[in-house]
Amino acid sequence: MNEVSFHTFRADAALAIANPHLQSAVDGATLKFRRDRLRALADLPDVEAMRDHFKAMRAATLANLSEHLEQFERQALAAGAHVHWARDAAEATQIVIGIARQHGARLAVKAKSMTSEEIHLNAALDEAGITPVETDLGEWIVQLAAESPAHIVVPALHKTRQQVAELFTREVGRPLSADDIPALTNEARRALRKKFLAAEIGISGANIGVAETGSIVLVTNEGNGRMVSSVPPVHVAVMGVEKVCPTWDDAAVWLELLARSSTGQPLSVYTTAITGPARDGDADGPRELHIVLYDGGRSGMLGTGYEEVLQCIRCGACLNHCPVYQEIAGQTYGHAYSGPIGAVLVPLLHGLEQYEALPHASSLCGACLEVCPARIDLPRMLLDLRAEEVARGVIAPPEQALEKSAAWLLGHRRLFGLLTDVGRVFQRPLLSKDGLRVPRRLNPAGKRRLPSLAPRSFHALWDELAAEEEAVAGAAPVKRAVRAPSRGRIAAVIGASVVPLVVLWHLLRRRGGKR
Amino acid sequence: MSTAREEILTALRRGERGGNSAPAPWRSRQQFDDLAARFTATLTGLHGEMIRAASADEALDRLGDVLRDLGAARVVVNDEPPLAGVDLAARWPGIAWHVVGRTEGDLRAFCAGADAGVTGADAALAETGSVTVSSGPGRSRMASLLPPVHIALVAAERLTSDILTWAAARSGDLPANVTAISGPSKTADIEQTLAIGMHGPKRVIVILYGE
Repeated sequence: MNEVSFHTFRADAALAIANPHLQSAVDGATLKFRRDRLRALADLPDVEAMRDHFKAMRAATLANLSEHLEQFERQALAAGAHVHWARDAAEATQIVIGIARQHGARLAVKAKSMTSEEIHLNAALDEAGITPVETDLGEWIVQLAAESPAHIVVPALHKTRQQVAELFTREVGRPLSADDIPALTNEARRALRKKFLAAEIGISGANIGVAETGSIVLVTNEGNGRMVSSVPPVHVAVMGVEKVCPTWDDAAVWLELLARSSTGQPLSVYTTAITGPARDGDADGPRELHIVLYDGGRSGMLGTGYEEVLQCIRCGACLNHCPVYQEIAGQTYGHAYSGPIGAVLVPLLHGLEQYEALPHASSLCGACLEVCPARIDLPRMLLDLRAEEVARGVIAPPEQALEKSAAWLLGHRRLFGLLTDVGRVFQRPLLSKDGLRVPRRLNPAGKRRLPSLAPRSFHALWDELAAEEEAVAGAAPVKRAVRAPSRGRIAAVIGASVVPLVVLWHLLRRRGGKR
Repeated sequence: MSTAREEILTALRRGERGGNSAPAPWRSRQQFDDLAARFTATLTGLHGEMIRAASADEALDRLGDVLRDLGAARVVVNDEPPLAGVDLAARWPGIAWHVVGRTEGDLRAFCAGADAGVTGADAALAETGSVTVSSGPGRSRMASLLPPVHIALVAAERLTSDILTWAAARSGDLPANVTAISGPSKTADIEQTLAIGMHGPKRVIVILYGE
């Protein structure tokens, strides 16, 4: 299991930031998605009210989730599907492997599915002697490169066309040029078409489960969802228990918002509703349909302060709007779920201790909340997770002691002023034009130059300015103005305190990282 | 297995807030003056192709034009309106036809090697330029999926505003497979560059007939 400590997270982030191709790819893709999303949502009348409705529907469904799942199960069984329940990843993968073995499957074609990433289905299938082939182009590229997805919606975002050409060349055994992207795509079409026709089993996730008819909905642009559910004789869909909605009216609203929020399309190219396996007399289609209802820690979030995260529909809008994601990209998060949703969901699914850095991968700017089709309050949950880290001692005791002393110091302005005055004296030998010149080995900020304390504190400047105004405008009215802004004083204290705090914080964290 | 089921349901019931807070269904607020015009605009914007025909008869003529222009030699066709009952072999003798559910032989192999697949459509969504195709007797999932060209013949009376109006009008059982198709298969997974025709058809041609 990947562990994302503060230390590894910072190291991976630095690598991502230093990778110019990755930076321009992420900037380009997220900018396009942001623009297209705005355009697509503008086409819907009363879209803000529709989002409110969607959130209310998602919340109401979770309030009685067990009932909706039971109805979903009843209807799916009535339509001839097999329904399985899996508590954890091991159980889910065992169910899928069992079905594959029952049919003597050697080759499994997979549609793009985040849930299957979550349960590491490919590794489990491989181990069981069943070859899984990802058929979403981006997922296939990532699979050929033996990497993990860089984005929920565009997994191979980080790959250049040259890298893709190399991977495909190795796969098809003929040299392929990187110059022509449609030609590369066509090679993938040909190679994967053979796999679709040869596979004994098709595996997918499910974007939505509709309780009233027991249907699952699959959404893709390439057609991989249709392929895996139409061509092989057996189809297995792994669905998180939170993906259910009561009616087709609800599913329709979901679909109106999903692709628009995700890629800025009005609807994905293929939206497929699957209700049971092929019926008697059907011209084609799978003889068997298996639906695996996967919990994987979701039931434990119901009724807690993190329940909202179960309203997520995996559109990726929060990634596209996150200033932190745009710098560090998906793989730094150490999990298939990245961006703000990953920063909240992954520690909840796999443990705060294992993913301690993720709740800090946010500037708390609030963009994720603003763009989420279900208005999930991710910033609040990021703060809650940080508070939990303190409460559970995930944050090391020395750092906790430091933060507490800092808070105490900030509450004692005179002492603080005294200390910064002292600092001003002692920093003199290190002063240079653009900050403090600290010997590299002693510099807690690494390669970056530490800022110096300003010659005069903000507070002192404020007082001075107020005095000048007093002189110009006469005593009476300005007196109030000088006394009134106690906020200004607080700001001055906070402003002047940043440097020593940053220094100490870095020192302690560096030490903490080497644990 | 049933233990897993019971355990999950019990855990869910423990956390559920209960109550009945479900909002009333959201109804479409789209107001399109001309459904066909909006459908056409959206579909062509998605790299789909649009042909208008006054009647089902004329739609078949247009279909013949399209197949001739394609130089299609092998065509799979769903046995559904307006194609059911048409003597295809007599009308287009140069083409090897596979009529789903009627022609002997391996449907999947034929679809995989066909030049085009021809289907009807149950509905057309104006907002998103989508046509919906369904599974059933004489109705192949693969006819609209495996060949490089998909031609859908759609009666104009099947036009509806959007997926919300489609859902609101729906009743009873669903076929095992219903797919809304919005233009040709596409991907932008390599350097964000659009490539048409990843797994599904590279061309989607809708012949919309009738008033």
